This record gives sequence, structure tokens and C-alpha cells, in this order.
Amino acid sequence: MAEQVLEGSQPVDLSKHPSGIVPTLQNIVSTVNLDCKLDLKAIALQARNAEYNPKRFAAVIMRIREPKTTALIFASGKMVCTGAKSEQQSKLAARKYARIIQKLGFPAKFKDFKIQNIVASCDVKFPIRLEGLATTHCAFSSYEPEIFPGLIYRMKQPKIVLLIFVSGKIVLTGAKVRDETYMAFENIYPVLAEFRKIR
Amino acid sequence: MATFELYRRSTIGMCLTETLDEMVSSGTLSPELAIQVLVQFDKSMTEALENQVKSKVTIRGHLHTYRFCDNVWTFILQNAVFKNEECQENVSLVKIVACDSKLLTQ
Repeated sequence: MAEQVLEGSQPVDLSKHPSGIVPTLQNIVSTVNLDCKLDLKAIALQARNAEYNPKRFAAVIMRIREPKTTALIFASGKMVCTGAKSEQQSKLAARKYARIIQKLGFPAKFKDFKIQNIVASCDVKFPIRLEGLATTHCAFSSYEPEIFPGLIYRMKQPKIVLLIFVSGKIVLTGAKVRDETYMAFENIYPVLAEFRKIR
Repeated sequence: MATFELYRRSTIGMCLTETLDEMVSSGTLSPELAIQVLVQFDKSMTEALENQVKSKVTIRGHLHTYRFCDNVWTFILQNAVFKNEECQENVSLVKIVACDSKLLTQ
């Protein structure tokens, strides 16, 4: 799926993205079960680009360059893959890690692959009055500028958390599928426009 | 004081080991004494690097591989540049093995 929309390079499907803005996927977290017990020390000693410090963390941390990702590999055979920019890239990376484990002599399978979280960001390109937004959407908003400069908006449907900054930059997290991210953004966009800061 | 044996693989360490081996096999040195010399070498290298070497070197290069296991970092750099105050040296491939000296005092 090469439908990664680069700003200005492709026309935006306005029926799906009425705002004309498509949030860019920044990070995908996925999990998979390799379904075999693993000797982490043996893995750390044989594989490249691996870290294993059992005193600090009970997993091997391994990285590959393409797709540029990091994997946490546990002795139980469970694995977490982070850093990919799309669902397919995340799956491809997870498969590559599984292959590395196989090559080290473990009977690794590829069970129950699942996307656990999708983080996306975008820029509405206008400043936002966070105080106003926080008071009118107080049921969903948490805005404490002394603790964190962004407004935390916990949308109920879809269940997505948005970080909204004065600058107009938005971070969306908590999605299991990218459409939830897109839907959440289209839901919030009219609200952001309403609280546009006029300078 | 406990020491690392990693300097034995350096040029000077290899030469020392070779010489000691020769002396032991020709009978001019007892194996026990040879071991003692090597242990002293470990100590002296650690001490010398800690107290007598003042120069600093920066190493830059493409990190081809890294590993951290058993408290030892291993780095393989490609096209590395070693720089100190006076000169600069290019090395196409270099392997760096680093141990945490704090582990010795624990």
C-alpha cells in the first residue's frame, strides 16, 4: 500500500478528508508471537545490532535499518516492533526480525501479528485558543499549561487521544487502524477552526 | 584490584604473550611467573591508560554493527576518522570493544 500521501504531491480525497489535510503516520507499534522460547543471551551474542542488559530490561533490543525499526524480543517468544511508518512496514520489519531469530536456530513462527497503536501528526497551519477549547469541551479536555503545553483531548468516538498545541500542530494516538486517526482528525478539525486564534 | 584482560589482544600485549610463551617453552621462565607477568601487564595497562594518557581522541564513522551483551559494548565502524589535537587518521574498518571499568570496583 503506497498511498502515503505526501503533502502537495497527490490530490487529497476530499470525501475521506474533508479538511483537505491527511495526518502523517509517524509511528506504528505492533506485536507478534514467535511461539517458541528464546535464549536471549545467545541471540544478543550472535545477532547484530542487539542490546541485552537483563539487569535493566528483560528483553533483547534489536534494530534493523530497513524498515528503520526497533524490536523488543522477550524470552517467552513475544516480540514488540516499533518505529515503522506504516502498517505494512511494521509487518515487514516484524517478519525480518522473526527471520533473524530463525536464522539463529530457533523454530520461530509468526503468530497473532497485531497493530497495537498508530501515532500520526499534522499541522492545521493556524494558531488555536486552547483555553477556549478546553472550557467548551471540558468533558474531553485536559489543559494544564504549567504541566504540559498541549491540550490533551480524549475523544470517545473513535477512541483516540489528541495532543493539540497552540501552534496548530496536532498529534493523534491510540488508533488500531489508520481510519480511526483520520476520523478523529476530521471530527476535531471544525472545532479547531472554531477556536482559531485571530492575531 | 581486578582487571580486564582485553589489552592482551593489543599489539604490545600479543608481543608480550609471544615472548613469554617462548621463554616458558625454552625453560627460562616458569609458567607461573609468566602468568604473573601477564596479570601485572593487565594492571599496568589499566593504570597507564587511566593516569598517564591525557590526550583525547574523537572517533567518527558509520556504525555498521553494535552489540551490548554481558556489559561489553562492541562497535564496528566503517570509514572511521580518528582525530586528536595534532592529527587525523582514516580507517576503513575498525572494531571497538569497550568494558565498563566501574564493574571492576564493584
